[in-house]
Amino acid sequence: MNSPVTIWRAHKNLHNYLNKVGKLVVWTKIFVAPGGFEHQVPYLVGIVQFNDERLPLQIVDCEEEDLKTDQKVITVIRKIGKAKSEDVIEYGIKVKPL
Amino acid sequence: MKNVKVAGVGLTKFGELWDKTLFDLATDAAMEAINDSGLTINQIEATFVGNMIYGRLSGQDHLGAAIATQAGIKGAGFRVEGACASGGLAVHLAVQSLLSGTYKNVLVVGVEKMTDASISEVTSALMGAGSDAERKAGLTFPGLYALMAKAHMQKYGTTRKHLASVSVKNHYHASLNSKAQFPFEITEEKVLNSPCICSPLSLFDTSPITDGAAALVLTSDTGKPGVYITGSAVATDTVDLASRKSLTEIAGSKEASQKALKQAGIEVKDIKVAEVHDCFTIAEIMAMEDLGFCGEGEGGKYVHSGTTKLGGKLPVNTSGGLKACGHPVGATGVKQIVEITEQLRKTSGKRQVDGANVGLTQNVGGTGGTVVVHILQT
Repeated sequence: MNSPVTIWRAHKNLHNYLNKVGKLVVWTKIFVAPGGFEHQVPYLVGIVQFNDERLPLQIVDCEEEDLKTDQKVITVIRKIGKAKSEDVIEYGIKVKPL
Repeated sequence: MKNVKVAGVGLTKFGELWDKTLFDLATDAAMEAINDSGLTINQIEATFVGNMIYGRLSGQDHLGAAIATQAGIKGAGFRVEGACASGGLAVHLAVQSLLSGTYKNVLVVGVEKMTDASISEVTSALMGAGSDAERKAGLTFPGLYALMAKAHMQKYGTTRKHLASVSVKNHYHASLNSKAQFPFEITEEKVLNSPCICSPLSLFDTSPITDGAAALVLTSDTGKPGVYITGSAVATDTVDLASRKSLTEIAGSKEASQKALKQAGIEVKDIKVAEVHDCFTIAEIMAMEDLGFCGEGEGGKYVHSGTTKLGGKLPVNTSGGLKACGHPVGATGVKQIVEITEQLRKTSGKRQVDGANVGLTQNVGGTGGTVVVHILQT
């Protein structure tokens, strides 16, 4: 888990990534997670092509069966990992099908 | 270029070695290599330690000095980190130190102690080799290679049976290797029906969590015949997979292998045996293409055809590879050179490749952010 100041700094830039539409290049469903993500398994992660860059992002609000290559997705804000009761909750960018 | 000779090799058993510490493993491998070289400890002028995650898992850093002094070696000590290519990178720097004339005899130790920690802790520590964006997405290395596998399947029609053939072959090779973590054969059905880790990769498409150490004594005293490192090259690329131009190749493998072959003055067709970085089955398939053993997109069919099995035209991963011999990440790049040295010395027993006189090793860090290729010749 990142430190509070790291999370605070990252949160200041989140708006730059909101509401961006991209295309799903490829994806996988993860069943064995790293620390902080165990509660989410299984979850979907893909590589998304935007106009100016390609990013690895979690895919939410859908099932794997709903996904297709080149499918349009849009960025949304969601919690990243799981914070302990006294930790700062970290938010970040994920995508959902459009 | 026959300026660097492999004077001695050492290798511990790979596996869940709960009765051994990291220092036990490093010392065992180092002493075996020094004894094999015929040199004394006092003749070793520097120690290069390949290690990736021990500091994060245990809190103990400063491994260059710690491992050298534990083994009773004086002189310079270095810890080298390049993700899962830490071992290969340590060998590369050791070779450069000999070529520069700074040292005459050096020890390289690759070591990792992974099974003392939980799977979640190890998975998180390994993701230190990824990018911040990949960590925030909850990606793992199996997940990253699953994305590459899926892209390869979409572009070239590679199948899960092609992937499984890597695992089946490497388990067969490991069944002939008493040092391997999994010295037994498995079937294609077993691979295909094993639990999914990250679609499309299943449990038996992935290399295990392993303890183990490997060591080499390298010397610039090339008077007597032996096995020489004639090519040693490193290439780097973005740490972030998504930023790469292609998801179906590791560009660093192409660059490093071309440089190493040029240094050695040979062509890829001259290679008789290879140890490549099969951290996941798709990685060996891409390695076959990137190293030039087969055409682009043909890696799946190439491995499935049996060409790379013992008895085939180009045996690959005769040790059992990372998949079945095991993958103590900091040790892997050194172990690959131990295996090829033994092949070229004709001391590999049931795993011996007939006519092996030129070998290649490919050690990959992360998803290809670091690639190290070595060429060995008699």
